[in-house]
Amino acid sequence: MFEKFKWSELSRRDALKAGTAAAAVSAVSPLMSGTAFAGTAEDAIIAAAKKAVPNGQDLTGLMWGLYSSGAQPVMDEFGEKTGIKVSKLQDISAFEIPQRAMAEALSKSPEFDFFHVDTNMIPSLASAGLIEPLDDYMAAANFKINAVGDFGKFLTYKGKTYGITTDGNVHVQFIRNDLFSDPDERKAFADKHGKEMAWPETWEDDLELMKFFHRPDQGMWGSANLRDRGSSVAWWYMYLYSAGGFPFTDDMEPNIDNDVGEYAFKTYLDVKEVSHPEAPGWGTPQMIPRIVNGNAFSCQYWDGIIALAENPEKSKTTGKWAYGPVPGSRFSGKLLKRSISTPNVGVLVNRHSPRKEAMAYMALYMGTAENSARIVGDPVNTFHDPWHVEHFKPGSLPEKVYTKGGMDAIKQNLQIVTPPIFLTGLLEFETELKRNLSEMYAGDKTAKKAASDTSEAWARSIRRIGKRRLRDELETYKSLFPSIDVPS
Amino acid sequence: MTADTTITPSPGPRTSLREATREQGVRRFKWTVLSPLIFLMVFILLPAFLLQGYFSFFAFSIFDAGDDTSFLSYFRASHWVGLDLWKDALTDNKFAFAIIRSLLFAVGVTVGCFVLGFALALLMYRPFRGHGLYYIFFILPMLTVPIVIAYTGEMILYQNGPLNDILSMLTGTEVRAQFLYNQKTALLTIAFLEIWNWTPFSFIIMMAGLASLPKEPQEAAQILGASKWRIFWEVQLPLLRPVILLALILRFLEAMAEFPKTWGLLQGGPGSATETIPAYIFIHAWQFFDISYGAVLSYLVLFLMGAIVMAAIWLLRREKKSLDAMYESKPQEG
Repeated sequence: MFEKFKWSELSRRDALKAGTAAAAVSAVSPLMSGTAFAGTAEDAIIAAAKKAVPNGQDLTGLMWGLYSSGAQPVMDEFGEKTGIKVSKLQDISAFEIPQRAMAEALSKSPEFDFFHVDTNMIPSLASAGLIEPLDDYMAAANFKINAVGDFGKFLTYKGKTYGITTDGNVHVQFIRNDLFSDPDERKAFADKHGKEMAWPETWEDDLELMKFFHRPDQGMWGSANLRDRGSSVAWWYMYLYSAGGFPFTDDMEPNIDNDVGEYAFKTYLDVKEVSHPEAPGWGTPQMIPRIVNGNAFSCQYWDGIIALAENPEKSKTTGKWAYGPVPGSRFSGKLLKRSISTPNVGVLVNRHSPRKEAMAYMALYMGTAENSARIVGDPVNTFHDPWHVEHFKPGSLPEKVYTKGGMDAIKQNLQIVTPPIFLTGLLEFETELKRNLSEMYAGDKTAKKAASDTSEAWARSIRRIGKRRLRDELETYKSLFPSIDVPS
Repeated sequence: MTADTTITPSPGPRTSLREATREQGVRRFKWTVLSPLIFLMVFILLPAFLLQGYFSFFAFSIFDAGDDTSFLSYFRASHWVGLDLWKDALTDNKFAFAIIRSLLFAVGVTVGCFVLGFALALLMYRPFRGHGLYYIFFILPMLTVPIVIAYTGEMILYQNGPLNDILSMLTGTEVRAQFLYNQKTALLTIAFLEIWNWTPFSFIIMMAGLASLPKEPQEAAQILGASKWRIFWEVQLPLLRPVILLALILRFLEAMAEFPKTWGLLQGGPGSATETIPAYIFIHAWQFFDISYGAVLSYLVLFLMGAIVMAAIWLLRREKKSLDAMYESKPQEG
């Protein structure tokens, strides 16, 4: 049927004809592909989902009730339009889901179609073979993650995209503006320190301010930063990264048993004198009420608390807060500010699930500009926080909940956001770190000893997980870091 | 008249047939009861036990099993390490401290539960008006889910919580004790919660023990003019020894395995103050996913608990023997 092509028989005119035809096709093809996805991003995902799963499917997953209530309307809508419904959810805390997901990886179970989990677990879960890359589904639905700054990279691992964020957690600086701008307080501060009270640029400035406003006899504590054995590790990362530190060397050896590591531990410990004595045991359930009830002067905290603090029905401090970029450090010789996103909670799809296609499209549907704004902008269920570029446009739904000042601060912190240890074995590395932070905070050891003990424990973890594997992942981890020193 | 006046019938063919049928029935009953247990042991526990043994010598990494979806992936993702993990565990200081914490916790809790439970049982074992109501009230903590106790305890025990307020009211000075987040008191606080949770267990066992005591020796002692204290000390207590031992052993074993309150409240902290054996194994098995090291730790705990159980069984048998001997040596009539 086909004759063998001979270059010798190709005339100059034929070559020109072929070239013209190719040029015409290449010019038209983008237009044609554009027409295939005509309409909204949501329509394109629905069309792709219907094509892949024409008869719909019932899905199930692990999701915390505090999150599912905000996302439910969007999931229900997708169910109505495609027949792909989330019919059952197992409601467990987002802090427990990483372990649970790892257990699912161990059993290679197809039971759950998705895990709504900290996306910083992507390296561990991908290495354990649990999660499905979404790139093919994204291509089929012409879907792109459009996050502020480099935040979209937090969902990738070794070049593949594994999740869709619903809660773009980032730490924001909170300061009680009513006290901060009070003329008497400002004068008293200037008298004491010989300088004007200013927004804290460094951790040392922050501590100075917190000390000034630390008045336990009046029910006011300088700091509401967490110091428990659970989530408080987030602060340590900010101290380390902003001092120019990185937890590992290029050869994947622990890199914290040094000056910069000790600085991070010491800065963590310094806040003790302005913290509540029960802080070593307080997680968010205990600390959040203290923040919104006006028992703390300042903190770096998850941005979702802005929505809560500004809700007059739930907060005694509505309108009293100022939000901004987190402090940084000049330890490295220049001012560097680094915020943190942990947990960055999103939807990951179970690779072992026979319904993974359906779930992948459901996940994409939750990540469009419009739908994510609905999830994030829920005025009652404020657990999902802004992350999409469109969330930050003036008059957006999230802006109504988080206020203009709050949104500006979130955007600034997203520009300098960093991940926790974005490597296989995150839980293991963090558990050792948490143990040492907690022991140091309790007075069992010094900052130097905590740094060296953590380093020693990490060396064991590296040996166990595999140095070569981790070294290969370092590139992805490093690629998530922002390129700017301070936010604009 | 001597005690030996019973006439023993000579075993005839009918009796031996009845005896044989009875023995067969007993045997059948034993097997009916034991079969599910044996099935469970052979088909579920034994394979798990053997697999744990295997993985204690072959280090398994969940991250090496990622792309392999077959059942064999677990074995392919393991490599021979011999006794390395055992050596690591036996020289693991943190594990040694976890054992010490668990033992201290379990001993304290066992004694606490027993003393309170026995005291309540002594108050309650003779019926009185409203007896049933008190009974329900006393066993209520045992019916509460431990994790609920943990969170309720947390609310009560805050520095600004109601317990400190009550203590302040009673003492007339401001009490601001840190029950939970002070390294020196954290384990003790959890022990108190555990005692509150499980005292009813000791109470029920001791109630049953007291109710089953033979009346005759107590009545005889009473007639002979013994005081209540003497009756308790010289009659009731010796007779109760096997029951006491059982209550102590069961409670001790349960206390060694306490996890929901410890983890729910403090996740092993502050510092490592509440990192007991279950918390330590949980961290390794379910946070590090170091299944092999978790297996080794579990085996070591199994050996430890096995030794404790064997000692307990020996003690129980000894008590039973001494009790049997006491009954056998009671004075002959006439």
